[in-house]
Amino acid sequence: MPDFSLTPEQESLRDLARKFARAEMAPQAAECDRIGRFPEEIYRKAYELGLMNLNVPTEYGGSGLGVVDQCLIVEELAHACGGMTTSVIANCLALEPILLGGTPAQKERILSPFCAKYQLASFCLTEPSGGSDAGGLKTRARKDGDQYVLDGEKCFITNAPHASLYTVFATVDPELRHKGITAFVVPRSAAGVTPGKDEEKMGHRASSTSTVRFEGVRVPATDRLGAEGEGFSLAMRTLDQTRTPIGALATGIAQAALDHAAAYALKRQTFGKPIAEHQAIQIKLANMAQAVHAARLLTWHAAWTIDHGAKGTLESSIAKCFASDAALEVADEAIQTFGGYGYMKAYPVEKLLRDAKLTQIYEGANEIQRTVIARELLQKYA
Amino acid sequence: MEIVVCVKPVPDAETRLRATSDGTRLDPEGVKFVLAGYDESAVEQALLLKESIAGSRVHVVAFGPAPRTEEVLRATIALGADQATWVDSGADAGAEPVRAARAIAGAIASAPHDLVLCGKQANDDESGLVPAALGELLRVPEFSCVVDLRWDSATSRFRFQRPIETGVESWSAPAPLVVGLQQAWNDPRTAKLPAILKSRKAAIGKVAAASASSESRVVAERFELPPPRTGAKLIEYKTPEDAAQQLVRILREEAKVFP
Repeated sequence: MPDFSLTPEQESLRDLARKFARAEMAPQAAECDRIGRFPEEIYRKAYELGLMNLNVPTEYGGSGLGVVDQCLIVEELAHACGGMTTSVIANCLALEPILLGGTPAQKERILSPFCAKYQLASFCLTEPSGGSDAGGLKTRARKDGDQYVLDGEKCFITNAPHASLYTVFATVDPELRHKGITAFVVPRSAAGVTPGKDEEKMGHRASSTSTVRFEGVRVPATDRLGAEGEGFSLAMRTLDQTRTPIGALATGIAQAALDHAAAYALKRQTFGKPIAEHQAIQIKLANMAQAVHAARLLTWHAAWTIDHGAKGTLESSIAKCFASDAALEVADEAIQTFGGYGYMKAYPVEKLLRDAKLTQIYEGANEIQRTVIARELLQKYA
Repeated sequence: MEIVVCVKPVPDAETRLRATSDGTRLDPEGVKFVLAGYDESAVEQALLLKESIAGSRVHVVAFGPAPRTEEVLRATIALGADQATWVDSGADAGAEPVRAARAIAGAIASAPHDLVLCGKQANDDESGLVPAALGELLRVPEFSCVVDLRWDSATSRFRFQRPIETGVESWSAPAPLVVGLQQAWNDPRTAKLPAILKSRKAAIGKVAAASASSESRVVAERFELPPPRTGAKLIEYKTPEDAAQQLVRILREEAKVFP
């Protein structure tokens, strides 16, 4: 049988994340959500404690954690605020293509100075015309001597207005579809890079999201990651690594919803007793607990699979898809447990539903996850 | 300066507690243990002194059973302590304070110590006896409930204050000194992730508690949790005056707080 117990080291990492989430994130979560504030002081503290560049090896100034350890931290952060967590872990997504596709010299030149101080990076794949159909992206990269010239627009880019570095996926030839996609590292300071204005969102309102325009942006060929045409594979391998922590993020939201619902059910009285003593509410809480537990175990299993050297495409897609669906269901049931109060913004659970919704959409919509799951599954039967 | 900090693992305030089956003490099974709050302030004070006095070292000592004591010591290394010594209590986790002080003094006596810092009391048994007993056993002056501890290099003396009910006392004393620190007058730092990972590999010195210190003439007879709180009574009212009248009536007639 596998061993599900955490090591003392993992317990310490989780304690650190829990302490930070409760002391720094939770007190600001409702206000940041209400007014859509990007709490940069909190992100700076997260960086200072080593909670930001979790996947970057220590030799380049990151925390050098495996995926299980990342998931333990992400779940704790998301328990306090899903939106802030999205912004804290966006560097992991943006820097992963450099970790997977960069040469040792590129990693040293780009990652070491980047991680040496508080800075944000953004992963630029999705475009206004589509995210799931990544093979059809339109941003062009034209070769000009030992440079490339980038033209196009990306959208729904996390942290883009505040980022100093972008990992950008562009095509050297749209006719080639997937085989034309190429990845580049582009500093915000490059001429022709323009992040758009912060989008008003349904949830994750402490996070910042905008378009990024690239107009005649000159990128030296030394800032290309991998060869021309390797970008699509690099993007997919990146998402294989970062999808599982989204399962952990969703689990954190779901656990928060269950915690709020159970605590409220013990306090709220109807018909002369706490509603936790009514079977209708007990069944709700039991179902919520099952969903949270299953989401966490699927996430841990996917993370463990990847930490043991496998690609984990199937496992991470199952974990992300299940946990994000579970987060929406559990947040929904938490609101129902609160009744009318749950629908009010003065109570914490309606935010959880709005935050949970995004986890079904970003880092691969759940429809794509199911397509991937079916494809991996059917290969075993073919 | 050689600074020794004595710390104790205590139950996390969020842990659900229960008594052992014989009802004589807290059941440690399933309890999460953390650094005591007063001790957090003591570690922070030690690190602040270390940072302000060149060539200083912080040596943390704890008496208790495995694995909680070692875990708490690792937490202090992650915060910045240079050395940690675990005085193993064996299975006896509920040692009374003077016996704990004897075990700790045994470890400190042979190590350099210009300053011995303790939390003024532990958050679990609240006895507050260990700092005073350490002073006696080490034959060193001891002050408790101390705040604002500084080292005055011009006079080579510690300067510190004691807030008491009638005012604030200011004292100075030379090294060596034992100090019991008041909680939360400084702002204890949080260990950073790389330091936490590094602390897992740190060597923790381990010594057995001296056998002569294991005799005890006191016996813990009974441990009871506070009775569960009963439900609150909500007053429904139309005006503040109405609420006040109802409240006074309840306090007088039901709670019998007023005659």
